[in-house]
Amino acid sequence: MKKTFKIGGTHPKDSKLSSEISIETLPLSEKVYISMAQHLGAPATPVVAKGDKVLVGQVIGEPAGFISGYVHSSVSGTVADVVPMPDLAGNMVMHVAIDVEGDEWDPAIDRTDKIVTETSGTPEQLIAQIKAAGVVGMGGATFPTHVKLAPPKDKKAEYLILNGAECEPYVTADDRIMRELPKQIVIGARIMMRALSVEKCFIAIEENKPAAIDAMTKAAASFVGIEVLKMKKKYPQGGEKQLIDAITSRQVPSGALPIDTGCVVQNVATALAVYEAVQKNKPLFERVMTVTGDCLQNRKNFRVRIGTPLNDILAAVGGAPVEGNMKYISGGPMMGKAIVNLNATTQKGSSCLLMLTEKQTLRKSESNCIRCGKCAEACPMGLEPWLLNKLARVGGRYDDLEQNHIADCIECGCCLYTCPANIPLLDIIRINKAEVMKIIRARQAK
Amino acid sequence: MTDVLIALAPASLVSIYFYGLPVLLLLAVSAAACILFEFLIHKYLMGSKTEFNGLSAAVTGVLLALNLPPAAPWWIAVIGAFVAIAIAKMSFGGLGQNIFNPALVGRVFLLISFPVIMTTWSAPAGLFHNVDAFSGATPLSIINEGVKAGIPANEIIAAHNFTPLEMLFARTGGSVGEVSAIALLIGFIYLLVRRVIRPHITLSIWVTVAVMTGIFCLANPAQFSGPAFNLLTGGMLLGSIFMATDYVTSPMTAKGQIFFGVGIGVIAVLIRYFGSYPEGVSFAILIMNCVTPLLNRLKPVGFGRK
Ligand code: SF4
Ligand code: SF4
Repeated sequence: MKKTFKIGGTHPKDSKLSSEISIETLPLSEKVYISMAQHLGAPATPVVAKGDKVLVGQVIGEPAGFISGYVHSSVSGTVADVVPMPDLAGNMVMHVAIDVEGDEWDPAIDRTDKIVTETSGTPEQLIAQIKAAGVVGMGGATFPTHVKLAPPKDKKAEYLILNGAECEPYVTADDRIMRELPKQIVIGARIMMRALSVEKCFIAIEENKPAAIDAMTKAAASFVGIEVLKMKKKYPQGGEKQLIDAITSRQVPSGALPIDTGCVVQNVATALAVYEAVQKNKPLFERVMTVTGDCLQNRKNFRVRIGTPLNDILAAVGGAPVEGNMKYISGGPMMGKAIVNLNATTQKGSSCLLMLTEKQTLRKSESNCIRCGKCAEACPMGLEPWLLNKLARVGGRYDDLEQNHIADCIECGCCLYTCPANIPLLDIIRINKAEVMKIIRARQAK
Repeated sequence: MTDVLIALAPASLVSIYFYGLPVLLLLAVSAAACILFEFLIHKYLMGSKTEFNGLSAAVTGVLLALNLPPAAPWWIAVIGAFVAIAIAKMSFGGLGQNIFNPALVGRVFLLISFPVIMTTWSAPAGLFHNVDAFSGATPLSIINEGVKAGIPANEIIAAHNFTPLEMLFARTGGSVGEVSAIALLIGFIYLLVRRVIRPHITLSIWVTVAVMTGIFCLANPAQFSGPAFNLLTGGMLLGSIFMATDYVTSPMTAKGQIFFGVGIGVIAVLIRYFGSYPEGVSFAILIMNCVTPLLNRLKPVGFGRK
C-alpha cells in the first residue's frame, strides 16, 4: 500500500525531465570559491590562508560551535584568497577561493570503486568520522548530520527514515543516485542505524520513481531491518514531519523536534555521503546536482565539486538556453531560492540548478482573497494561510500570528501554489514568521 | 470562475432547449448587466486601479437568471443584477468582501418586490399553468400524488405526455435553472472533478434534507412530502450545488462547511413545511451566510496540535 501524510498537500506537475540521464562528472573549474556557511548553524572558521597549498579533501574550515561543521577543499591547488562574497542566496559569507592545479587527492581517501560492505566501529567512532567528513543534510536543510545522529540523552531514537521522496518537481539528483549507487546508500543507512542504535530503517520513495524503488529494494534485500516504502506522489511528501506522519502515523508535536517521535530523518544523498565518509574516508566535497528546465535541451545530472561557480555549470550545458531574462533557482520550484548572481558557487545543499523562462515565473496579478479556503485545504500543517495573510497585512499583530501557529509553517509553498487569487501567501508568511520566531526566541532567552 | 460557468452550461442549455429564446435573453441580459454594473462601480465609484475581471460578475448574472421564472421580463433581470452587484457585492467592498450571496440577494429582493412575476411559472411543455401551488413538481411526484388520488399511473403518464427523453431530463416546472436535475448534477460532478469545490456543503445539505424529510414523511405521509420529492424539486439542487458553495459566502474549513450545510438543510425543510413560502432554500442559504464568519472560527485540524 502506498503511504502518505494525512493533512493537506497538493499535486504540482512533477516535470522530472532529467530522470533518464545518467550521472556525469562535471569537468573541474579553474577556480572554486568554497563557502564557510554551507550548514545550518555557525559558519566554519577558515584554517587556511592565502598562498597555502591544499589537496582534495583537506580541511579548510573548522566548526565554530556545537551546531556547525567542517568544510573541506574540493580541489587541489593554491588558496588565492579568503574573502567575504555573496553566496547563492545573496548573503555575504566568508569564502575560500582556490586556484585549481591538477586533481591531487588526500592519499587517505580510498578512490577505488570497490564497495566496502562490512561496517564496524562504535556509535561514537562513527559519529566522529561523519563529523570529521563534514556531512550535512543534503536535502536542502543542511543540518549537520553528526548532531542529528546524537540525540539528547533523554530522547531515544527508534527508527531511521531515509528520505528518497524527492517530491520537488524537476529535481532528479536523488533518483539518479538511488538508481546508480543503491548499495552505497543502503550501507550508509546501515552505518547510521548503528550510530543511532536503531533496529529499523525505512527508505521512503515516491511512486513516480519505480526504477529507484526497484534498485533500492534489491540493494536493501540483504540487510536486516531495512525496508523500502513506496510513497504516494503528493507534495510535500518529503517534508520531514510529513514523512514521519506518513510512515509511523506519529505527528511531531507543534514546537517539538522529530526526535520526540523517535524518528531521525536523513536524506538518501546524506546516506551516500555517510557511506563515503566512513567506508572510503572521503569527506563531503562533491555531490550530484540536477541541471534542468523546460527551456534547457542539454539537461544533466552532474557530479559537481562544492564551490563550483554556477557560471561554469551553465557553460557546461551550453550557456543560457534562451535570450532575455532567465530565472535561476537553486533547488526545486516549490521551495528553492532564486539565485541572485551566477558568480555564486555550489554548496553541500545544492540539489538542483533550475532554469525558468521569464514567462514561467511571471506572477499573475493579485486579486482580493475570495475566501475559497483552498490554501487552508492545501496546508500540510493545518494552518490558515488566508488568515495569516490577513493578520500580516494589518501589520504588527505578531501575537495573533503566533496564536494562529505561524511558527509551525514549514514554508512548503502549497498555499501559494493553490491560491486562485495569486496572493503571494508564502512570501508574506515567511517574513512574518521570521519576526514571530525572533520574538519567541527573545522571550525564551529571558 | 470559468469552470463555474462551464458547470452551469448544461442547466442553461437544457433550459434554452425547453423554453426557447426568452430564456436565452434572460441569461444574456442578466450576465451583461452584472458585468456592466460591476465594471462601472469598480472603475468610477471605487476608482480601483486593479485589473477588472468580469468572470465573477458573469457567474452571478447567470445564477440570477437561473433563479428567475422562465417567463420573467428582461428588465426584471436588470433590476436583480443591480441589487446583486451594487448592493449585495460592491457596497461591501467588492470581490471577496460580501457577506451574502449576491445572486440570492437579487432573487429574494425580486421575490418580495414583484411577487406576482416571480411566482408565475410557465411549464416547459406548456402543460401545467399556475404550477406555483406546488412550486415546481417533478414528474415522479405528479405520478405519486396522482396514484394516491386513485388515478392509475399509466393514465397520468399518458396525460402528461412524459416521453423518455423528457423523463431523462427530469422535466421540472420552476425557475429557469430547475428544469433538469440531471443537467445540474452533471455540473456538480464537473465542479468536483475539476476540484473547484469540495462536496462537503452540498452533500451535508442533501443528507440533512433526506433524513429530516424522511422522518417527517414516515410520521405523517399525508401532510409531509418525502426525501426524493424534496431533493429534486424547487431550488434544492441549484441552491445546494451552485449557491451554497459560493466561496466568498461559505465557510472555509471542512468542519465549518458541514455545519453550514446541515444548517441550510434544516432551515430549508422547516420553511418548506411550516413557512408561508413554498420554497425555502434561498432564505436558508442567506440565513446561513450570516453565520459563515462565525463558522470560519472553527480551525482546521492542526498538524501535531491538539
Ligand atoms: S508555506 Fe506554510 S502556510 Fe503555506 S502551506 Fe506550507 S506550511 Fe502551510
Ligand atoms: S487560497 Fe487565496 S483566495 Fe483562497 S482563501 Fe486562501 S488566500 Fe484567499
